[in-house]
Amino acid sequence: MKNQMWKKGVCLGMAAMMTAGMLAGCGESSESKDTAMVQTGEDGVVESGRYTLDADTPAWKLDTKEDTTLTWYVNADWWNTEWGNDVVTKQIQKDMNVNIDFVVGDDTKLNTFFAGGDMPDIITIFDASSSVAQKADTWAYALQDLADNYDPYFYKVASAQTLSWFAMDDGKTYGYPGYSNTQEDYDSGEIYAKTAFVIRNDVYEALGKPSMGTQEEFLDVLNQIKEQFPDLIPLGFNNFETDGTSSLGDTLQDFLGTPIVNDDNTFYDRNMDEDYLSWIKTLNQAYKNGCISDDSFTDDNTAWQEKESIGKYACIMMDGTPQQAGFLTTFATSNPDAAYIAIDGPKSTAGYEPKLNQAGISGWMITYVSKTCKDPAKAIQLYTYLLSDEGQILTNYGVEGETYTINADGKYELTDAAKELQANDNDRFKKEMRLGEFIPFGHDRYKSLSDDAYPDSIKQMQEWGIGKLYPHFILENTDPETGSAEARAYSAIKTNWATTLVGMIRANDDAEFDSILESYRQFREENDWDAIVKVRNEKMAANAEKLGM
Amino acid sequence: MKNKEKKKKQSLVEKAKLFVKDYRRQLPLQMMVIPGIIFMIIFCYMPIYGLTIAFKSYTVIDTIDSAKWVGWANFKIVATDKYFWQSVINTLGISFLKLLIGFTTPIILSIMIYELRDGPFKRIIQTISYLPHFLSWIVLGGMIINWLSTTGLLNQILMAVGLVDNPTNFLLDSGKYWWIASLSDTWKEAGWGTVLYLATMAGIDPTYYEAARIDGAGRLRQITSITLPLMKTIISLNFILTISGLLKSNLDQTLVLMNSQNQAKAEVIDSYVYRMGMTQGDFSYATAVGLGVSVVSVILLVTANKITGKINEESVL
Repeated sequence: MKNQMWKKGVCLGMAAMMTAGMLAGCGESSESKDTAMVQTGEDGVVESGRYTLDADTPAWKLDTKEDTTLTWYVNADWWNTEWGNDVVTKQIQKDMNVNIDFVVGDDTKLNTFFAGGDMPDIITIFDASSSVAQKADTWAYALQDLADNYDPYFYKVASAQTLSWFAMDDGKTYGYPGYSNTQEDYDSGEIYAKTAFVIRNDVYEALGKPSMGTQEEFLDVLNQIKEQFPDLIPLGFNNFETDGTSSLGDTLQDFLGTPIVNDDNTFYDRNMDEDYLSWIKTLNQAYKNGCISDDSFTDDNTAWQEKESIGKYACIMMDGTPQQAGFLTTFATSNPDAAYIAIDGPKSTAGYEPKLNQAGISGWMITYVSKTCKDPAKAIQLYTYLLSDEGQILTNYGVEGETYTINADGKYELTDAAKELQANDNDRFKKEMRLGEFIPFGHDRYKSLSDDAYPDSIKQMQEWGIGKLYPHFILENTDPETGSAEARAYSAIKTNWATTLVGMIRANDDAEFDSILESYRQFREENDWDAIVKVRNEKMAANAEKLGM
Repeated sequence: MKNKEKKKKQSLVEKAKLFVKDYRRQLPLQMMVIPGIIFMIIFCYMPIYGLTIAFKSYTVIDTIDSAKWVGWANFKIVATDKYFWQSVINTLGISFLKLLIGFTTPIILSIMIYELRDGPFKRIIQTISYLPHFLSWIVLGGMIINWLSTTGLLNQILMAVGLVDNPTNFLLDSGKYWWIASLSDTWKEAGWGTVLYLATMAGIDPTYYEAARIDGAGRLRQITSITLPLMKTIISLNFILTISGLLKSNLDQTLVLMNSQNQAKAEVIDSYVYRMGMTQGDFSYATAVGLGVSVVSVILLVTANKITGKINEESVL
């Protein structure tokens, strides 16, 4: 009997271990197979006469090698793995004589590549601060080495600021991102703001186009809305994700123009900014006046989008306008007179100008050439090709005459056939044309070539934002390193801040407001706040150096 | 003495021979088992090796072998992490409420259904009570958020009855979260939970009831003296499984219903591990927590089995 019990115990133990084991995954190790890069000869000839380097011509135009096949790993399950079956990739295949085998997966799959040492030729990941990216010099080729050896034209299409931003300690850059905006892009006016304070046009007109700049005006207008439009919720904002602050944290700070750093490029405590907090107090007053609904704090994404598309909110502090465009369009189509428009909205009491944020210099997808790449020359040619105007126009608009035409104003327009397919059979459009989908090296500036790039419902909001963008580059990737004590403390502080912010807005009186804020301050002190600020300052100093600030 | 050893040896050899003989005879059947064993070894036993990362400092680009050993460091961090302990408290709180309500409701419900006369009404009741089980928490969560909002179903009912004057959003009140979590889970799963019990009841010999009726037993007496005692084994089995799952919590439900205001009461072990492991990429830490939870679960399982064994005079597992 005893013995049996013991056996059972062992069995149960095994069963539990199995469950836990699932979490851990498995990996095999083997020698990493670094293949040394074949250097270009002194005469500039690449690999036994394939082509001779020419700084003024992209190497892909010179390369005589036919039919190279490269494997390209994208660390996302949603990536379309087809090649050569749509307008975009067919053209790349034709121009570059290259076949791509796409492989997709998640971190686990990426891990097995590293563990097995059998790496794909090209690797695209999404997080510039991940440990994969931080150790890139151990497994990827430096882009400068590749460019010097195989394709010096790369320097003409790559952004110097982006390259220097991603440079590692040895001064070389290993990955190149898509959607990396530089100071130049911010200044050019070719990228648009994605934040706006919007109001329903019918409400705005009915109230006689009031100003909402000062806190008194703001509360007054909300009260008028509450009286005159009892069916509407006077003020709304993006839905709250669990740890997030909706559009009332960083977004509102940017909107008010709260300073980003101290004058000496050190950490500025934006959450504790007096001007910002006075506006949070104003929101608290609005809540007490019944102008903010409790449901706005619990609504999930679907509920928020539904309210957006029926125009439930009179005013919205809105972030990510391009993502909201579909719902705004739905509302504007059925209520053309009531469509949301951007107005100046809340203004800093300290005289700050808006510092709206956009995608930063770190960009989005980052692409590397692994050291086991079969044909590094072809790989860097692909970078050059996709980064050049030619490649960008191809991936955004396709082939002239086939999928787009250039109209009299010099604006790019999709052909009627393409537009029709996009509107009526989007799946087929994506499959056959793949316009705007081949994006590892994409950039928003090419969207300004066309009038159709953004829906009408947000164009006025984008226009309102012109000149209000302000780079936040220095704050990028300054969170404490994953796995460190500071990272865990910071995660707890962030969560606590989300709770604090909503708590302050919902406070019953000033005393409660102050005590909530005070307990947040105390919480930070108890959770290594000084150490976190220290980490931030170090990282910001490094950023400032890279940015030449 | 020597003889004895010899005998033992001989018997061992004989045993081995017998085993081979038996194995040969059953070869076709044994062959069918082999793929299953291989599957188990590859997918269940080999990954156990990966648990070593709980004792290592592991990142995506390390192999399990190459990662640095850090001993108990990850476990020490877990032990001193007060957010982790808050999540343990929440998990236990919600689990005990679920045990209290979610475990008993299906038993009562199944007896009620069993007592109904066969017919369309019974079938409709069964179907309706199963229905929520087949909805995912993503869908259901959205519905519950809506029902509990200021303009939602619950507030409208309460206001119509006159129990409240001003509508409140229940999900923002962290004090109510444990109840919301356990009641909504019970509502979703109670119907499905009756399946096992109803199947057991279907197997009860009807002559027991006939005999009881002749002896003058009423409905209630029949339930307490026949139905429940005959369901003892299946109820204890369910109870043991529930106890061993005390530290498991419903990740989907938590992720959907959690918001900034109820987070302190809503964060459970699973969601905390998910946030640390997946969102923050701290695999070693998450594995350490997972391993710790598994060990405690095994202890709970064995204890619960022993206790019910003492009560029932035979253990279920």
